[in-house]
Amino acid sequence: MAFSVQVDRGRRPASAGSDARRPRPYHWCAVSTEISRIRNFCIVAHIDHGKSTLADRMLELTHTVDQRAMRAQYLDRMDLERERGITIKAQAVRLFHEGYELNLIDTPGHVDFTYEVSRSLAACEGAILLVDAAQGLEAQTLANYHLARDAGLTIIPALNKIDLPAAEPAKRAEELAKLLGSDPAEILHVSAKTGEGVADVLKAVIDRVPHPEGDLRAPLQALIFDSAFDTYRGVIAYIRVKQGTLPSSATIKLFATHVTSEAEETGVMAPEATPVDALGPGEVGYLVTGLKDVHHAKVGDTITLAGKQGAAEPLPGYREPKPMVWSGLYPADGSDYSALREALDRLKLSDSALVFEPETSQALGFGFRVGFLGLLHMDIVRERLEREFDLELISTAPNVEFHVFRGTEETVVHNPAEMPPGGDYDRVEEPVIYATIITPATYLGAIFELCQARRGEMVDMEYLTPERVEVHYLLPLAEVVFDFFDQLKSKTRGFASLDYEPWGLQEARLVRVDIVLHGEPVDAFSSVVHRDKAYEYGKKMTERLKELIPRQLFDVAIQASIGSKVVARETVKAKRKDVLAKCYGGDITRKRKLLETQKKGKERMRRVGKVDVPQDAFIAALRVDEGARKK
Amino acid sequence: MSTPAGIYVHIPFCLTRCGYCDFNAYAGMDELKPRYLEALFREAELASPGWTGTEFVSVFLGGGTPTTLEAADLRVLLAHLRDRYSLTADAETTTEANPDTVTEGSLAELLDAGFQRVSIGAQSFDPAVLASLERIHQPASVRRAVEAARRAGFRNVSLDLIYGANGETLESWRRTLDEALALGPEHLSAYALTIEPATSLGRKVAAGDVPGPDPDLQADMFMLACEALVEAGYGHYEISNWARPGFECVHNLGYWERRPYLGLGAGAHAYRDDVRWWNVRPPETYMEKVEAGELPIGGSESLDPSDAYLEEVFLKLRILEGVPSSWFDHQRYEPYVQSGLLVDHLGQLVPTERGMLLLNELVLGLTG
Repeated sequence: MAFSVQVDRGRRPASAGSDARRPRPYHWCAVSTEISRIRNFCIVAHIDHGKSTLADRMLELTHTVDQRAMRAQYLDRMDLERERGITIKAQAVRLFHEGYELNLIDTPGHVDFTYEVSRSLAACEGAILLVDAAQGLEAQTLANYHLARDAGLTIIPALNKIDLPAAEPAKRAEELAKLLGSDPAEILHVSAKTGEGVADVLKAVIDRVPHPEGDLRAPLQALIFDSAFDTYRGVIAYIRVKQGTLPSSATIKLFATHVTSEAEETGVMAPEATPVDALGPGEVGYLVTGLKDVHHAKVGDTITLAGKQGAAEPLPGYREPKPMVWSGLYPADGSDYSALREALDRLKLSDSALVFEPETSQALGFGFRVGFLGLLHMDIVRERLEREFDLELISTAPNVEFHVFRGTEETVVHNPAEMPPGGDYDRVEEPVIYATIITPATYLGAIFELCQARRGEMVDMEYLTPERVEVHYLLPLAEVVFDFFDQLKSKTRGFASLDYEPWGLQEARLVRVDIVLHGEPVDAFSSVVHRDKAYEYGKKMTERLKELIPRQLFDVAIQASIGSKVVARETVKAKRKDVLAKCYGGDITRKRKLLETQKKGKERMRRVGKVDVPQDAFIAALRVDEGARKK
Repeated sequence: MSTPAGIYVHIPFCLTRCGYCDFNAYAGMDELKPRYLEALFREAELASPGWTGTEFVSVFLGGGTPTTLEAADLRVLLAHLRDRYSLTADAETTTEANPDTVTEGSLAELLDAGFQRVSIGAQSFDPAVLASLERIHQPASVRRAVEAARRAGFRNVSLDLIYGANGETLESWRRTLDEALALGPEHLSAYALTIEPATSLGRKVAAGDVPGPDPDLQADMFMLACEALVEAGYGHYEISNWARPGFECVHNLGYWERRPYLGLGAGAHAYRDDVRWWNVRPPETYMEKVEAGELPIGGSESLDPSDAYLEEVFLKLRILEGVPSSWFDHQRYEPYVQSGLLVDHLGQLVPTERGMLLLNELVLGLTG
């Protein structure tokens, strides 16, 4: 989440009136900056390659933040982001340096947020390509570099962490130069930690990045590259004015959502929210939109003025946020259903990509089918629900959406249980991703093997250096959501990196595998898998459930089936003994209490047909080795 | 006249602590014995006013190991109880005994003192099983103890057996049963080994050092015991108890039939009219309270009708008396009759042998 206006300081931003008493910085009136003296840029880097540290140094060097107020990684606000060391959403900071206005737009650094990255890039003219001098290029950096290049941005390559003993600046510079088709000498050497080379970076931004262009008097077109919800001020949009001028209060119109609103304030982040009279072409800042629903200010949408003075056309490139991964979320305690609904509603206020709808499972009760941009997004949402809202959740295995075609009819299925069983359709299409993997060459074999096993199709492969290879694969997303990342990391000892972008749909021989417990299908365990893997999935689930389901008074058959065809079967043998052996010495109380405990345990079980299944069994059976995925 | 009652006396002393035992018992506290005996006498005095007019049909010395006390001490104890309480002339008087703590002489003295029943903790006749249970005696000690009891004149001898210890096979269990039967006891108890957490075995099982009992094997062992003992002429009168006709344990039946009982000694339980109470557990605390002239009660509970109902069902099913089918909805018990866990015997629901093994399920299923 980007910083909402001063919300983390627990007070409303100072009004213009009270500000009047403070000496105004000379850049107070935004439009006063000559367009030729504006530079909009971002930093493209892998997690941990030092993007936030570099940003911090820039804030210091330009006296945007004084040393005392400096806190490490100033731009990452939320605790969760701090802990994970990543930035989830973009934000912008205005710096002044040698008479230039430099807007640093922070890009999200993860595979799930490709579209948000592309919108942040669209707000810039230049990008610093920051690479760890010890670790070298990573897949995600490369993918974002391609995005930046395709968006026509000027690229400033820089190697960071040159102070590290393990740094190999010469080698990395060669690698980078090869990628960029440039001279290794053009690559900047930086230590964001010590501050070495940071001034050169700022100088390069001023010298190399072109200034924005735009007409002050043209109809307003402002790109929303991020939005957030503030408890006090409503929806805050982070914008880049492309054409025209945005005054501090105006009736605005949003193209994609067709809403109009009375905007209350324009401002810039310097780095705290600072109101300005207007934002002119080429400028970056925030707008207090007057909207109450963050879904009305979608990333990529265009803001203009309402009425005749508004622009006729939006800026190109808007896309609806599209959930890629789905999972059923259920409260472990059924009575928490409304608490879960409230928590999701609250999260949705600040997360425009989150979608959910109520869902009922025979096995798990009432819950929600929730759509996420990707696995990281899913983890973050789940973790926030558990941590900030204190909910205990059962989540079903993540799945992708399937397009089921029957005759001329197309159905989009988000829940495996909704898939027609037993092949009652003409064809099914599944989403495919274009994956970029960068790996030390020694692990190529392991990667081929993994991608092969996951129905991957290699597109191409290029040696970045003799030791490092960039491989591209088309992979079904369904295979990637299922512990692919874990496997990739463990097979390459953590050295390979992955990035992906949606590629489209492909037809696949997919089937729904049901898990049937004593004749009763358990909807929460249904999964859509490739026909060749149905047996493997069925066997794994039946074996796992055999360990988890307590013995009952009768034999319990656990079957995995495709339609009516059983592909795997296990049996939980009937229990034969459940009796307190010794009941003597007069301590009947204890025995009765044991019975009462047993009775309570029974009451807590969920009933599937005739079978009592403990809640823990659901949780354990649905756990998809998710451990290392988020790391 | 009030319902006939029983007296339980707890003797917490043992030679060693067995691996499976989580009773209130201690090894190495021998120096407390004289003081503990005094405390028992004193508690008997303190408690007796509450039981005037009650007729007692049994006295049971349990432990611990009562026979770690001298036979002469047990004689005085029993005499004391006779003085304070109204014991019927033919009251059943039992003492538990460990094979290694009795001789023909001591047993003769116990018989002479008025104990007519001795219950010997044999547990197994397989040395490996005894070792696995962390018992110190040898199978030969059991034979010797039973023979000594016979020579001393005991005509009511009971043996305790435990099945399902680590390493015990069905064959070994069969030999144990055969050996026990060969000694011709009037009464036999056979308990499935239960692993209690706060025991030496419990810790080993929790740590994964020793496997826990296999419930299916224990079920087979139970079925084997049912077959062998009934064949040998013993009546199966409680889940874990068999007796020759007329030798059912009056005292233990009292618990199961929910008759009143008085408990004396550290941690002993008592029951009367839907109220249960129990003494403090640590012997030291127990003695201090009694010496101060207080009843050493550590806690009590009053059974509400639903507790009492649960107990009634659970205990009646245990002693195979069964419960009237009229207590339950037909659809509640019918599936169990259908599946052969209960028989409907002239309106009484009685567990079958398979049903006894699943008694908890039956009780929970019936009482819902």
